[in-house]
Amino acid sequence: MTIQQQLRTVVVFTKLSTRRFFRDKLALFFGIIFPLIFLFVFGTINSGSGAPKFNVALINQSDTTFARSFADQLQQGKVFKVDKEATTYAEAKDKLGKSQVDGIIILPAGFGAPDQAKGYPTGNIRLVYSQSSSGTGQTLQSVLSGTLNGVNTKLVGTPPLAVRGEALNDHQLSPFDYTFSGLLGFSIIGIGIFGPINVFPELKKQGILRRLHTTPIRVWQYFMATMFSQAITGVVSIAIQFLVAIAVFHLKVAGNYLEIILFTVLSIFTILGIGLAIGGWAKNERQAAPLSNIIVFPMLFLSGTFFPRFEMPVWLQHVTTFLPLTPVIDGLRLLTTEGKHLVDIGPQLGLMLAWMVIIYAIAFRSFRWE
Amino acid sequence: MVYSEGMTAILKVSDLRKIYDDKPAVDGISFEVKKGEIFGILGPNGAGKTTTLEMIETMRPIDGGTITVDGIDVATRPNDIKQIIGVQPQSPAFQDKQKLSEIIEMFAAAYGERVNPREFLDDVQLGEKADSYAEQLSGGQRQRLSIAAALVHNPKVFFLDEPTTGLDPQARRNLWDLIREVRDKGVTVILTTHYLDEAELLCDRVAIMDKGKIIALDTPKNLIKQLLKRGFTKTQQVEQANLDDVFIDLTGKGLRD
Repeated sequence: MTIQQQLRTVVVFTKLSTRRFFRDKLALFFGIIFPLIFLFVFGTINSGSGAPKFNVALINQSDTTFARSFADQLQQGKVFKVDKEATTYAEAKDKLGKSQVDGIIILPAGFGAPDQAKGYPTGNIRLVYSQSSSGTGQTLQSVLSGTLNGVNTKLVGTPPLAVRGEALNDHQLSPFDYTFSGLLGFSIIGIGIFGPINVFPELKKQGILRRLHTTPIRVWQYFMATMFSQAITGVVSIAIQFLVAIAVFHLKVAGNYLEIILFTVLSIFTILGIGLAIGGWAKNERQAAPLSNIIVFPMLFLSGTFFPRFEMPVWLQHVTTFLPLTPVIDGLRLLTTEGKHLVDIGPQLGLMLAWMVIIYAIAFRSFRWE
Repeated sequence: MVYSEGMTAILKVSDLRKIYDDKPAVDGISFEVKKGEIFGILGPNGAGKTTTLEMIETMRPIDGGTITVDGIDVATRPNDIKQIIGVQPQSPAFQDKQKLSEIIEMFAAAYGERVNPREFLDDVQLGEKADSYAEQLSGGQRQRLSIAAALVHNPKVFFLDEPTTGLDPQARRNLWDLIREVRDKGVTVILTTHYLDEAELLCDRVAIMDKGKIIALDTPKNLIKQLLKRGFTKTQQVEQANLDDVFIDLTGKGLRD
């Protein structure tokens, strides 16, 4: 066969297996719907602005107009989440003991009553917090002081000394940005590893691969066709996740879409190599399942799929940098939310290419048609 | 074209050996298959039929001896062999959600060919099912689809491993007709079977294997003649018809799918 004929074989196989994917409801569920479910679950958990939020109980014992509007302000603000169930001190204390609230804010009777001599409201807020979490308590205290300072300034004018905070909002990554690139990594694992390790043993069991082996098709042709069709279905799946992330979770894509697609395809190729190596080697599910668990689970937890790597101890970060999934997730985040370009992510690309060489060398050697 | 002496050999097997765990599964067998014949390999389970077939098909390494198909050595040029043989596995399976026409297209592509799938499906009476999925087929239809898929590249030799196992009498007869049609197009057919009536009706010559050796090789007629010459008589009177004939008489030859 000429090389043109051999490549045409790859094209036909790619076309037919891509078509089959879009007809197969189960494949569609695991390839497209399943990652979306994860996106909604983890996206909802991590879609906050990134500022800490405090759960507090608020007990207003004062009946002044000032106290009432102050309480309303606290409830509507973004910093405090007021627990509506705790209305008495006893209930609030109980919740504090169970760590269901971080502190109790008490507006004592008479709080905010105007001082006749000075002409503006006065009073002290009581803040009760648990001794075991004094750090949180102190933060709460300073947040509250800050709030009161703002009020004081309005009442008596600017005090001579003050701190002015400035929030730097440039390229600040929200928790969702980390979550999103991690979830993309997770769906690439699904496409690249869970797919082949489920499909290949089944194809072997039914003798479908063996039958193909009676034809002149070569392993590289079969691998290439699988790579292309998984890349096509993977790009579709990831495009849908981008659309949902943009529409629902307000993802701001800072990078170039063409570069993101290119990098996604490369990522799928790399990770698919692992699936081809395991699925191609395993004679049956019993061989494929344990091996894939040993390889996939550490990667899932250590490469920043569900937990950002920066939260890990430094030594662990150094080790996990070199896992095959890490450059995929880091690269996707750098390109998508940090607006980097392919030329900027040389280390990630280099690491991925190195893994690709290693993984495919193993996959080619260990492939078995039956 | 029916077998006759003097036709050229397309398959030559000499002193072929396969050893599993120190025990010979195929123990130095030699035979030739002539161009255009239907050749049967018979034998009890474990006789080495399938192993022999798989070595010829390039699917298993050869431990000793040589095989040539159309003058090409199997051990040294497996890819050239694959291009000129068609293989029908014991229980053909296809991936779900794939149309019959796409399966034909896929197999053609595997051989580097481009074909009109409909033609090949028509040959095995599946033309109307071109747009059905493989999982919607009956056992007999799947066998026929598999035969069509094995012939997309116009092979010179066609191998079938126990093709009629598990089929109903109608489907078996239909498959025999199909195999004869393939042979009539000039393709040499080599098959293994458990069914002796099948071998007697279908095969021009048969080799009987046992314990890795060929213990008899001739036309079915000659083998029976030789047996009778040795003074063999059946204990029971041979009837002019058997239960198989009764079944077909009652249910007809029409194909059930």
